[in-house]
Amino acid sequence: MASEKNKNALAELSSRLADAVKSAATYTVAIHARRRIPSSGIIWRDGTIVSASHTVRRDGVVRVTRPDGESVDATVIGRDASTDVVVLRANDLKTPPASRAASDSGDVGSLVLAVGRPGRNVSSSFGIVSAGMDGWRSAQGARIGPVLRLDLAVYDGFSGGPLVAASGGVIGMNNSALAQGTAAALPSTVVDRVVDELLSRGHIRRPFVGVAVHPVSLSAAMVNRHHLTSDSALLVVSVAEGAPADESGILIGDVITQIDGKDVARPVDLLDAFSGVADGASISVGILRGGAPHTVSVTPRDRESAGASE
Amino acid sequence: MNASFMGQFSSDARSLAGVLRRSVVEIRSPNGSGTGIVWGAGLIVTNAHCAPGGPLEVGANGRSWSADIVAHARDHDLALIAGTSITGPPLELRDAATLQVGELVFAYGHPLGVRDSLAMGAVHGIARHPRSGDARFIVADVRLAPGNSGGPLVDADGRLVGINSMVVNGLGVAIPALAVQRFIDRATARRAA
Repeated sequence: MASEKNKNALAELSSRLADAVKSAATYTVAIHARRRIPSSGIIWRDGTIVSASHTVRRDGVVRVTRPDGESVDATVIGRDASTDVVVLRANDLKTPPASRAASDSGDVGSLVLAVGRPGRNVSSSFGIVSAGMDGWRSAQGARIGPVLRLDLAVYDGFSGGPLVAASGGVIGMNNSALAQGTAAALPSTVVDRVVDELLSRGHIRRPFVGVAVHPVSLSAAMVNRHHLTSDSALLVVSVAEGAPADESGILIGDVITQIDGKDVARPVDLLDAFSGVADGASISVGILRGGAPHTVSVTPRDRESAGASE
Repeated sequence: MNASFMGQFSSDARSLAGVLRRSVVEIRSPNGSGTGIVWGAGLIVTNAHCAPGGPLEVGANGRSWSADIVAHARDHDLALIAGTSITGPPLELRDAATLQVGELVFAYGHPLGVRDSLAMGAVHGIARHPRSGDARFIVADVRLAPGNSGGPLVDADGRLVGINSMVVNGLGVAIPALAVQRFIDRATARRAA
C-alpha cells in the first residue's frame, strides 16, 4: 500500500484535514492577554476578532499575533460573561475573516478539528462532535443556546480558536471553560448573535424586571377554582424599588402563575419568558393576589442601562 | 464523502494495520516491554529506554529470539538491535519536515501489553530546530501508552514519519524517521569499519 500512487481513503481524508487546518490558519490569531501561554482568537469579520473572554485578562489594548507572524494592537470592545465571548477590533489584520461551514457540519458524529495558535504556529487536534447540548445555561441562569460537546483533546491555548469541519469552514469557537474544562464549542450562530449585540450596544441585553421568586405548589382547590393548567407557580419574595415589576404594581406575596399565557414553574422560566421580549415591548403576567386572579402588564428593561448590578 | 467512502476508509485502515504488523516486533526487557521496527536484514530499531542493556528478547509472530544491542544513542533515545533472523518489509520513509498540521497519522505497537494496536490521530505540530528548520520532534494528537515506545508513527500512505518515544501533556512525541536513518547509518558504518 505504501508504494501505491493512487490515493487511498486514509490519504484522501488526511489531505482534506490538512487543507482544513491550512485554511483555518489564515484566520486564527494568537492573543497575548494573560500570563504564560497566549490564547487563540478568530478573525470573525473584517477587523473583528472573537476569543474566549476568560483568556483575555485585560481590557483596552492587547497584542495579537497575526497569521503572518506579525504583531499588531487590538482593542477590547466588549465582552459577555455568560457565553464567555470577547470581541476585539484591529485595523490591519491583512487576511480575510473565517469562512463558515455548512450548517449541518456541527451535527453529532461530524468529524472536526480544533485549531489553535498558542504562539507563532497553529496546532490542531482531531475528533468528533459528541453531543449538542441545547438548554445550556450560564451560572446566572441565562440561556446561552446550544453548546457543542466534543470528543477531542483540547490543549493549552486552544480556547478562543476555531472548531473546523473536516470539509473546511468554521463551525464555532472552542472554549474549555464552557463545560467544566471538557472540550466544548460555542456554535457560529451563537457567536454571531453575541458579536452583533456587542458591536451595536457594547453589551448583551439582559431583560430585567426586578423580582425575586420562589417556586410554590398551589392547592387542587385553587387550581380548580381559577381553571389553572398547572399547580406550580412562583411566589414573589422581593420587588426592587423603581424596577419594571414595581412600576407595573407587582407586590411581595403575589403568586405568578403565567407569563404571556404560558405556565411558569421554575425561576428560569421567568428569565426565558422575559428574555424573549423585544426592546420596549411589554408582556402580560398572570398573578394570584389574595386568592383572586389578576393580569398586569410588565415592560422589561435592559439590565445594563437600568444600572442594576448582577 | 458518502457511506462507501467510510467503508473504504475502514478497509484501508485495516490493510494499513496488516502492513505495519509485518514490520513491527515486540521488545521485552527487564524494564518492561516496548515496540521495535524491522529495518532491513536482521536489524531492529527501538527506543533506548526499551533496550536498557542486559538480556533482551524480541518477539514476532508467536516466536521469540534473544538479541543483542548493537548501538545506542541515548541522547536521541534510540537503540539498534541485531542477532535475529526476523525479516520484514522495511517501511518507506518520509521527511517529517513535509508533514502538515492536521494530517492523519497512525501509531502501531503494543501499548500496555495489548499486542498489535493501531491508534489514529492528527499531526498537532512539528518542533523544529531553531536555526536549520529541520524537524526535531513530531508532536501528534494520538493516544499512546507505555509499550508504544519504539513503535512506528506513519502517515496515511503507510510511510514511516517517526518513532513514538514519549507522551508530553497527553500528546505523542516521535523522533523523525530521517534522524533514525542517520543514527543507523552511523552505527552500521562503525560496525563495518
